[in-house]
Amino acid sequence: MTLRIVLVILVCVALGVIESVVPFLFHLTAARPDLLLIVVLYLALHDDVVEGAALSAAAGYLSDLTSATPAFLYTFLAVLTFVVVRLGGSALKTEGGVQSAAVAFGASLVHSLIATLVFGFFTGAGFHLEIGSLLWSAIGTAIAAPIVFSILRRLDAGFLHADTGGLH
Amino acid sequence: MGSILKRFREPIFVVALLAVPFVIFFVKAKKGRDLNPVDKVIVSLTAPIEKTITGAAFATLDVWRGYIALRGVREENLRLRRDLLRSRSTEQQTTELRLENERLKRLLDFTDKQAPTRLLISRVVAVGASPHSHTLRIARGTDDGVVKGAAVIAPEGIVGTVAQLTASYADVQLIVSPLSAVPAITQRTRSRSTVKGTGDIGRCKLEYAARSDDLQEGDALITAGGQGFFPQGLRIGRVTNVTRKPHGLFLDAEVVPAVDFSRLDEVSVVVAAEPTPPPAAPVNEPIAGSPQ
Repeated sequence: MTLRIVLVILVCVALGVIESVVPFLFHLTAARPDLLLIVVLYLALHDDVVEGAALSAAAGYLSDLTSATPAFLYTFLAVLTFVVVRLGGSALKTEGGVQSAAVAFGASLVHSLIATLVFGFFTGAGFHLEIGSLLWSAIGTAIAAPIVFSILRRLDAGFLHADTGGLH
Repeated sequence: MGSILKRFREPIFVVALLAVPFVIFFVKAKKGRDLNPVDKVIVSLTAPIEKTITGAAFATLDVWRGYIALRGVREENLRLRRDLLRSRSTEQQTTELRLENERLKRLLDFTDKQAPTRLLISRVVAVGASPHSHTLRIARGTDDGVVKGAAVIAPEGIVGTVAQLTASYADVQLIVSPLSAVPAITQRTRSRSTVKGTGDIGRCKLEYAARSDDLQEGDALITAGGQGFFPQGLRIGRVTNVTRKPHGLFLDAEVVPAVDFSRLDEVSVVVAAEPTPPPAAPVNEPIAGSPQ
């Protein structure tokens, strides 16, 4: 289990680097996917509560490090997203690519909305809701979700295979 | 007690994971962020990877531009020569104006109160990871003399200020961030206002511009200067969507930034000038009347 935690954190670090570099290289201002949010969604739907919440916090913390917003805003939001999606988890199916994209689209919109509200309210910066920007980001997140889900599924399948392999 | 803790282990852990970050965020929400040693270690590990990837991408692009896309070089060369001639003529005029300005300043006994500064060129290596962040990561840090709050500019205008930094890297908060506010002057009318970020990468909001000001669509805004802000006279952007309500002290307007933040490869950081070495001490000569 410890190795899985390390690997998920490494995946988060890699996705964080991709999130920082790809939009810069391709001059993307809209449709930027929130890759670390997709990891949080996967953890909420597939992981153990304690481990999933802790890994979600780690993913949020990585977002925090490059955003130059007040400390721990994205850490808090990542755990909050984990809890909300976990509570509604039984109603959410993410077996197929389209389903995971739909869940990611909705989660991204809600996450962005809450981020804007919390940020505006507590920093005193005011509420500046950019609907277009939120929608484009949600679309980018939805497109990237099946790929990230597939990477994490493969990672988990590798561990499952290793566990069951010992029984034969 | 122990059994309760064991029974509710999961909810207690999750609530603690929610509460701790929220409390820290709540306490520090208006103070900005300073990277702690753990943050610095993680940034020091990830930023070089980002720098390597962007460096490799730009190197590939340079090879493409240099060896494959050579078509049209002759025409471009001619155009650049013409541009160079034009620039030289402008430079001569600028030099004349600068000298005239210095003469007039001396005549008026005007002293420049701004601290001496220098520009530090820096490569942009990445952008903020979250789609909602408005930051750039540059390959300069405290080792290069960069400090928190330092102004970052591009040839087209101002970019932002340094929000957090490590020894070799700094994160720049763009002027479009909701946390940014830049004192501004309208170049044509010299009226004062504040350019406030809204979170939209292509637009800022103009605040505290008096309704009586003759502000017009397309007016250029420059920095007002002042301690802790950008040096005076740098381009911020152009005024757009001016609306004068029948009541109130201020008018509503938006600002289109002069800089396209999605296409910044290099920026300059304004840092304090290196202290000039004191003049060589005169050779000690015995002063008349001093005790020997």
